[in-house]
Amino acid sequence: MWSYHPELLETPVPRYTSYPTAAEFGPDVGAEAFGDALQRVTGDISLYLHIPFCQSICWYCGCNTERANRPERLASYLEALHREIALVGAGLSRTARVRRIAFGGGSPNAISPIDFVRLIVALTQSFPLADPVLSVELDPRSLDEGWGPTLKAVGVRRASLGVQTFDPALQRAIGRVQPYAMIERCTDLLRGAGVTSVNFDLMYGLPGQGPDQLADTLDKAIGLGADRIALFGYAHVPEMFARQRRIDASALPDQAARFAFAAQGYQRLVSAGYVPVGFDHFALPGDPLAQAATSGRLHRNFQGFTDDAAPVLIGLGASAISSFPELLVQNEKNAGRYRMMLSQKRLTGARGIRRSGEDRARGALIEQLLCGGRTPLEPAIAQVIASRLAPFVRRGLAIVADDVLVITPEGLPYARAIAALFDRYRAQSERTFSSAV
Amino acid sequence: MTRCSECAVRDRAICQSLCEADLEELSRLGRHQTLEKGQALLWEGDESLLVGNVVDGVLKLCSTTSAGRDQTLGTFYPSDFLGRPFASTTPHSVIAVTDARVCTFTRSAFDGFARKHPDLEHKLLQRTLSELDRARRWMLLLGSKSATERVSAFLLDLASRLPAEPVDQGSDGAIRLELPFGRQEIADLLGLTIETVSRQITQLKHDRIIDTPSRRAIVILDRAGLEACAGEL
Repeated sequence: MWSYHPELLETPVPRYTSYPTAAEFGPDVGAEAFGDALQRVTGDISLYLHIPFCQSICWYCGCNTERANRPERLASYLEALHREIALVGAGLSRTARVRRIAFGGGSPNAISPIDFVRLIVALTQSFPLADPVLSVELDPRSLDEGWGPTLKAVGVRRASLGVQTFDPALQRAIGRVQPYAMIERCTDLLRGAGVTSVNFDLMYGLPGQGPDQLADTLDKAIGLGADRIALFGYAHVPEMFARQRRIDASALPDQAARFAFAAQGYQRLVSAGYVPVGFDHFALPGDPLAQAATSGRLHRNFQGFTDDAAPVLIGLGASAISSFPELLVQNEKNAGRYRMMLSQKRLTGARGIRRSGEDRARGALIEQLLCGGRTPLEPAIAQVIASRLAPFVRRGLAIVADDVLVITPEGLPYARAIAALFDRYRAQSERTFSSAV
Repeated sequence: MTRCSECAVRDRAICQSLCEADLEELSRLGRHQTLEKGQALLWEGDESLLVGNVVDGVLKLCSTTSAGRDQTLGTFYPSDFLGRPFASTTPHSVIAVTDARVCTFTRSAFDGFARKHPDLEHKLLQRTLSELDRARRWMLLLGSKSATERVSAFLLDLASRLPAEPVDQGSDGAIRLELPFGRQEIADLLGLTIETVSRQITQLKHDRIIDTPSRRAIVILDRAGLEACAGEL
């Protein structure tokens, strides 16, 4: 099906979970701009809460996390998060309505069920909640029985398990040992708790991974009935994430093998009845994410592809990013400084960028390409990118007709590379991003 | 402190599941405190030093907005659990709405005890979940547009949390509540004026949804009607 054109995948490109990307954030936009934006919000908004703790740290992980082995650090982080919830809630315009709340990390279940419920109580008291859809990322290794009744009583309907691979040898190679029986038990626990949409995060490009191991992992994920599967390529950037130095770089599959893994995953999941969602998500036809993808309502945010259409996302917690139509702001990343600022009742927005009209137009275009594989293209813009788009058109990966740019089915693995043509911040840039497949 | 076995909320409080020996140990950690109406037990933002059970009276959870306005975030009735075990600060103030009696523990002593008694820790999770349930209902109540909705929802909340006596007068399912406070306190809790609260109660009585046999008693005659007024149907 897909043809491998290494020359088109040479330049690393961002994942475009936002445009401009976090690489463009600067220190000139922070807490003040965030506070002003909060007062102007109207209508539907989403909340994201960041819990940057895990029971143990996996070697491949590029998240901003620490081990949850010091209860006092965890407690003081939660205290700061409670202060932030009160502060942001008090500063938010009363015409806003919270429709979604997502917990991510890290592992939100690195905190106790009691602490989790207290966060929901605090959100209930501080924000104008309008029967929001709740979703939680979970680490199977710390999902003990107490979580079942908790998720049920709180009303969590969507959950995502960090599975990565079912292969025991690969699990050891990435420092994440979690037997099949554990994932099975967790899936049952979530179903019993009334979770209607269960996502599995899976990975290809792991050290020593071959097509057989990926095939087996996909079969098991399908067999367990995952409603959604996100299939990511492992990004090895040990110069940015010291923990990745434990991974044997000499055993990592090369780019051609990574391309083949992505194709294998796509074929297997589509033949099992999953609907492709964007370039790396898959969902069963009845799942809201699949419905959003097939009806053209898919969006992209910091968590990946989503059916969340709210124009405003407020990020709470250290390093969390808030997104407004005219502004992107990231909270202080350093957990110590984050706590210190909140003990003084200060908002912690530390870096960000204002989105100009042009940024928004380019952002919309990039989102349309990644989510729906097509975008209207003004002749003037078409002319500007024509020479850089030509290699993709020549190979049948993209078509321009009637002022519309369409990524063909063969072009899907090149979607990020095509979208990057519209990124004015890196038209010719050499910056380091994860590989495009 | 008086013996736990004689405690008025013995069969309903968080300690209900403990055996005699454990109860004995817990009772040595606790002490009874009486509060006068308006007195604070916990202050917003303070170090979380105390937890405990309400034995008698009513307390409220409140926060002060940046504009300096007090907002009630919830209420505590006898047998309710106060404070936050395993948390280092108190996010909101707890203030007595009426004269009240509470059985308190220092948080550190209670945490230590709870860690040794997994059953109690499990009970704490359940209490926290019912706290969430109450917070959700309370914010809904405060968010309701009309005074009718607010007062009706408040009476339903009271009915679910105070001991209610069935009334036998042919009216099926009628229950009688002895209010621990007057109209003024209700008005303060709901952010309404006393005139508005009195007018709403008079109207509900006129509609034969409730009756008010005395100043401190309310009989709910028509629960479905009250739910409809609260916007719950």
